[in-house]
Amino acid sequence: MPRSIWNGTITFGMVNVPIKLYSATESKTVHFHEVHVKDGARIEHRRICPREEREVPYEQIVRGYEVAPDEYVVLEKEEIKAAAGDRGKVVHLDEFVEAADIDPVFYDKTYYVGSREDPDPYRLLHDALRRSDRAGIGRFTFHDREYLVAVRALDGVMALHTLRFHDEVMAGEDLEPDASGRDPSRREVQMAEQLVESLHEHFDPRRYEDTYRAAVEDLIERKAAGEEIDLLEQEEPEQGDDLAAALEASLGGRKTKARS
Amino acid sequence: MPRALWSGSLSFGLVNVPVQLVSAARDLDYRFHQLHDKDKVRIEQRRFCSKEDTEVVWEEVAHGYDLDGKQVIVTDEELASVQPRKTRTIDIEAFVDLADVDPIHFDHPYYLVPAGESEGTLRAYRLLLAAMERAERVALGRLVMRTKEYLVAVRVREGALALTTMLFHDEVRSTDPIETGGKKPTRKTLENALAIVEELSTDWDPERYTDCYRERLKRVIDRKRKGERVRAPKPERQPAPAPDLMAALQRTLDNLRDGGDARNGSDELERLDREELYRRAQEAGVSGRSKMSKDELVKALSNGE
Repeated sequence: MPRSIWNGTITFGMVNVPIKLYSATESKTVHFHEVHVKDGARIEHRRICPREEREVPYEQIVRGYEVAPDEYVVLEKEEIKAAAGDRGKVVHLDEFVEAADIDPVFYDKTYYVGSREDPDPYRLLHDALRRSDRAGIGRFTFHDREYLVAVRALDGVMALHTLRFHDEVMAGEDLEPDASGRDPSRREVQMAEQLVESLHEHFDPRRYEDTYRAAVEDLIERKAAGEEIDLLEQEEPEQGDDLAAALEASLGGRKTKARS
Repeated sequence: MPRALWSGSLSFGLVNVPVQLVSAARDLDYRFHQLHDKDKVRIEQRRFCSKEDTEVVWEEVAHGYDLDGKQVIVTDEELASVQPRKTRTIDIEAFVDLADVDPIHFDHPYYLVPAGESEGTLRAYRLLLAAMERAERVALGRLVMRTKEYLVAVRVREGALALTTMLFHDEVRSTDPIETGGKKPTRKTLENALAIVEELSTDWDPERYTDCYRERLKRVIDRKRKGERVRAPKPERQPAPAPDLMAALQRTLDNLRDGGDARNGSDELERLDREELYRRAQEAGVSGRSKMSKDELVKALSNGE
């Protein structure tokens, strides 16, 4: 049984749903620690006061916000807490939206929602979200910070996603797209669409393994066995200048492959 | 234009589109610095060798890994040697339907923008936009950035190619151990719950939500700068589960249909945060307001009206 990270209550209308939250994701990236190349000893990060040129113990460190160059407003823990608001351990779902309407760029972290004490209201909210394809929108306070969240039904379980705010997401027009030059021809678009179609498949996350993680793990094993590591050159792809010819060749290539 | 984090090419069949990667997320959080309490000088983090007790420059730092108690040291060059060879290319491996990809898999959002202004590049970029937009498809590929390989999804968003890094399947935990349970709701109960969801439904409009935390933190910083003391409000108490689910649903629906608030009848005060309630209490001259919790403020204000 995984450990829950938060106990609280989700409400919709006057229905209170006691819940627990669990992390839904875990990074599997291979993590290294820093070592001194010369002697293999661990690197320590020390906090230094540059004026006194000496290490500062943690108790003598405060958190400051820079309001002007070298002018800081120091905030106590209690004051940072004040910004978290007073919602405490309650997430009020005051609104519901079409779950599919939330653009993926808004999704940040995901937690699984489990039941606590009374599972009946949990099941009811889950079933209502699933049947309506809606997500409940609310605010969630975690580690003295308030987040905007969407609560969705998965298959039998609910998920809570923290969401980015609209001003934290760059709009397409912020990229100042260059509108000059010729657009692709109809024939090129048709061929490209054909290519998209020929590569279409059902999404199955299990088909994609983290091959780089496996390669790093293999590298560690080889190094541990005292092996000499070959340092390979990396190659750049060539840019074809004839778009239509490149598309034609791509489609042709696939057709031959499909037949054989 | 935001700073490019990576440049290379997006490869689609035999077509290569030179692109640059820029972040689609902006960090608007207020960042704090660690200061030395005594002299308010900003703390510097420096690397020290734990054996020699001397400062170490970045060039002398390597990566260590603890393999069953044995330390293995790997250099940057060795790590680079195991990166896939065509490391500057995102090869599109497949196209899938956006609706099939659960948002749990999405990690960080980026945009791909055309690299350079050559006509061929712009045309190839637009070709991919046109082909994917019509079919409402997401391209899957791999991107190697710094020392990590990512599975990425590329799709059309607001006239540009949006790229999202994705978690691998084994980085998404199983839902099996999560406690759920509960009786299957009766038809009537579910109908009432669906009616509440319907009543409270609205269009998704991200601009309607502002980061109140960021705004409050700004106010705290401003007040502190003026020399005021700031206290944390008492958190709202957690409500107990309703003993009668059906009755709670019915009362909610009655409230909503009377044009009231879903949670607390027609009492709009409950919706306000403590800060706003406190301002109103100040105007109304409620005594003892600074020590009151949110619930107490609501009570005091509704009694006075």
